[in-house]
Amino acid sequence: MTTLLEVRGLSVAFRDHAEERQLLSDIDFSLGKGEILGLVGESGSGKSLLCRTIVGLMPSSKLHLDAGSVRLDDEEIARLPEAGMLRIRGKKIGMIFQNPTSHLDPVMRIGDQIVEGLRFHRGLGRTEALEEARSILGQVGFPDPARGLKSYAHEFSGGMRQRAMIAIALACDPEILIADEPTTALDVTIQAQILKLLMDLRAMRGLSIILITHDLGVVAQTCDRIAVMRHGRIVEQGEKRQLLANPQAAYTRELIASHPSLPDEEHRPLEHERSHVRPIFEVDDLDVAFPIGGGLFRKRRDFRALKRVSLQIFPGETVGIVGESGSGKSTLARAMLGLTPISAGHATFDGSVLTLEREATLKRLRSEAAMVFQDPFNALNPRFTIGETIAEVLRTQGETPPERIRERVGELLDMVGLERNFAGRKPRSMSGGQCQRAGIARALAVNPRVIIADECVAALDVTIQAQIIDLFRHLAETTGLTLVFIAHDLAIVRNLCERVIVMHHGQIVEEGQCDEIFRSPREDYTAALIAAIPDIDPDRPIGGTAVPAELQPA
Amino acid sequence: MHRFRFILYRPIQFIPVLFGISVITFVLVRLIPGDPARIILGTRASPTALANIRAQYGLDEPMWVQYLFFLKNLGAGEMGRSTLYKIDVLKLIATRIEPTLALVAAAVILSLLIAVPFAALSARRQGRPTDHVVRIVSTAGIGFPPFWLGVMLIILFSVKLGWLPVSGYGNTLGEKIQHLILPGLTIALSLSAVLTRSLRAGMIAGLKSDVATAARARGMPENIVFWRHVVPNALVPTVNLLAINIGWLIGGTVVVESVFAIPGMGQLLVRGIFTRDYMVVQGVAMTFAVATVLINLLADILTVALDPRVDLS
Repeated sequence: MTTLLEVRGLSVAFRDHAEERQLLSDIDFSLGKGEILGLVGESGSGKSLLCRTIVGLMPSSKLHLDAGSVRLDDEEIARLPEAGMLRIRGKKIGMIFQNPTSHLDPVMRIGDQIVEGLRFHRGLGRTEALEEARSILGQVGFPDPARGLKSYAHEFSGGMRQRAMIAIALACDPEILIADEPTTALDVTIQAQILKLLMDLRAMRGLSIILITHDLGVVAQTCDRIAVMRHGRIVEQGEKRQLLANPQAAYTRELIASHPSLPDEEHRPLEHERSHVRPIFEVDDLDVAFPIGGGLFRKRRDFRALKRVSLQIFPGETVGIVGESGSGKSTLARAMLGLTPISAGHATFDGSVLTLEREATLKRLRSEAAMVFQDPFNALNPRFTIGETIAEVLRTQGETPPERIRERVGELLDMVGLERNFAGRKPRSMSGGQCQRAGIARALAVNPRVIIADECVAALDVTIQAQIIDLFRHLAETTGLTLVFIAHDLAIVRNLCERVIVMHHGQIVEEGQCDEIFRSPREDYTAALIAAIPDIDPDRPIGGTAVPAELQPA
Repeated sequence: MHRFRFILYRPIQFIPVLFGISVITFVLVRLIPGDPARIILGTRASPTALANIRAQYGLDEPMWVQYLFFLKNLGAGEMGRSTLYKIDVLKLIATRIEPTLALVAAAVILSLLIAVPFAALSARRQGRPTDHVVRIVSTAGIGFPPFWLGVMLIILFSVKLGWLPVSGYGNTLGEKIQHLILPGLTIALSLSAVLTRSLRAGMIAGLKSDVATAARARGMPENIVFWRHVVPNALVPTVNLLAINIGWLIGGTVVVESVFAIPGMGQLLVRGIFTRDYMVVQGVAMTFAVATVLINLLADILTVALDPRVDLS
């Protein structure tokens, strides 16, 4: 295989008058023609910065390229002046990003964004460029390319937006595509489609791809070689199978062990006796509808977020609710806690019917159930220290005597594995994992019988995810807590929960014991979701197909 | 083009707004101390003459009856007779509306002509001396009162340099444009200070945005990234800011028309207040209210045209 891109000894540092920090140290790697290289690492490992450095788009003027070379087709491009980089970026190296929504120009038609590059790099006329753009949109799976050209980004779903991003990046036929977490913001089934598309494009065009991701599962199933990054260094790189089967660096081993697709044999969730116990949550034919549109002159229409949902959750159980975005899983949780109005049906909490005795039930819910949120930073008040945040809950609840509050805050921090001195710190000075632990400590402060965790590990790195999952497991085992765990990540649910409920379009499509459902799903939808889980086993093909499920622009 | 459908039924929402404004202006005008009849006839008028005048203009009726007459006349397309000019207020306003509209238009155009280049200069050289100068000037610009600024501009451009007329309005289009530059600039300087700051912030955010990064990543030169991707996105909130400021802008014309002796609505309003010409004050206030509402509708249309995501229907 001919080498297309060769990076040697690349070092980048952040430097201003106050401090100096080494962000990338002595990076060596190469990329062959038609090869897919997976660049794996957790947030802050420098993988995105590395790729921006290659194309000369360092995000701040305080970042300095101190040493190293980047050779593209035997041309040194590391210190090329801006004018020289213009004919590399887009023309030889294309880029796609994690969040297509924010990277597509909202006020410019998709077609114009493709045409822009074609006209600049290849000097095409507008008509020719549009013709070319249409053919590219077809190649990336737009069912109606002519219409796609005239549409704006907001008219499409996340998956289609990422396809549009790919079309823009590939417009000028670059030799290399840098894909920076291209599927992280997408549902698993859509993720599988996009990955499949990238592999098809590689096969069709002989494209070389650098795939940046935090998910070893994604690289295992797509890449030829893997480079693992941590703290600005490549700790290990090699051929995929070899690296996964026989990891040398301790960090690589930790990453592999943390991957949720590996069934966690030593922690089989406990089975609970359920037949003679009163369920703690009982939901009967629940409907939740939100009004959409409507106004002075138009009839109000309803969007039914939940349609006749019935379920029971028993004390001490750990139940996972899974589904893709928009499936209604968060709405269900909010309805059960009385945080969203119920349109029809009943929700009962431990014998009190929310729909009948609303005030009384809400009062009980506030003191016996707690919620943990997805975004650990934004769920905490930035002006409060962690101690103040937890103390506020304790004071409001009024069961802890004021002189005991300090002590109780300390106990809660112990429970979630945070040092007691975190009581004096503010969220800003804490990592995502630490913030999430603090969020859990706050939830535990009311001494709840139930915790509903809504996508509470989705924003965290895999190793941190594994720690938080361990924490929940420990809490469930030692305190008899009932846990409702909402997630789009089925692999995590499989490891943590004894029972799983699968939701789709506001309805429960399947529920049952985790083992059974994952082993032999009864519904096609569940099977498709399970098949789409990125697996760390390189020999498993990516699930899903290259044909997009949602073909039309919204 | 269903996103523009709101234009059809927005006017119906104007009805309660205008009704409210009519009540407020009607009551406020009558709270001004002073007797219109006495102002018309002078201090030495006989009680009979005063009573006659009051009867002639309906001023002797209770306030709610006066209001009903006002509404009835409004329905018939009349706003009553001016006690000072002795003609129908609507006809009076018709002769005065053009200079004011032209002044507002001149102020908006000039303020954009000032704000866009300065904001662009400032945003693209963020943190450097040019940026600091622009920011200091635009902060100072907010601080200058228009009546002072207007006089200073007259002294500089009309008296010292003799480039532009001191005051008045003119008859031909060329004359009018000449006469509008200084008053337009007076308003535009304060307005552009506000716009520059908002545009600069939007442009700086835009230059750091993912949209700009993506454009750079496909090899677009910085000029294209800025003018084709950053500026259109930064303009959307600026249009709204302009619309919010339109009330302030119309208020500004009142002062500026007085300073530059432009025979517009502002001047008419000031004279109406001094002579307790209730009908004129009401009429002008209503016209300003309608203008504000219509200009906001225009801003909404512009927003929908600039940003395909916005759907007001």
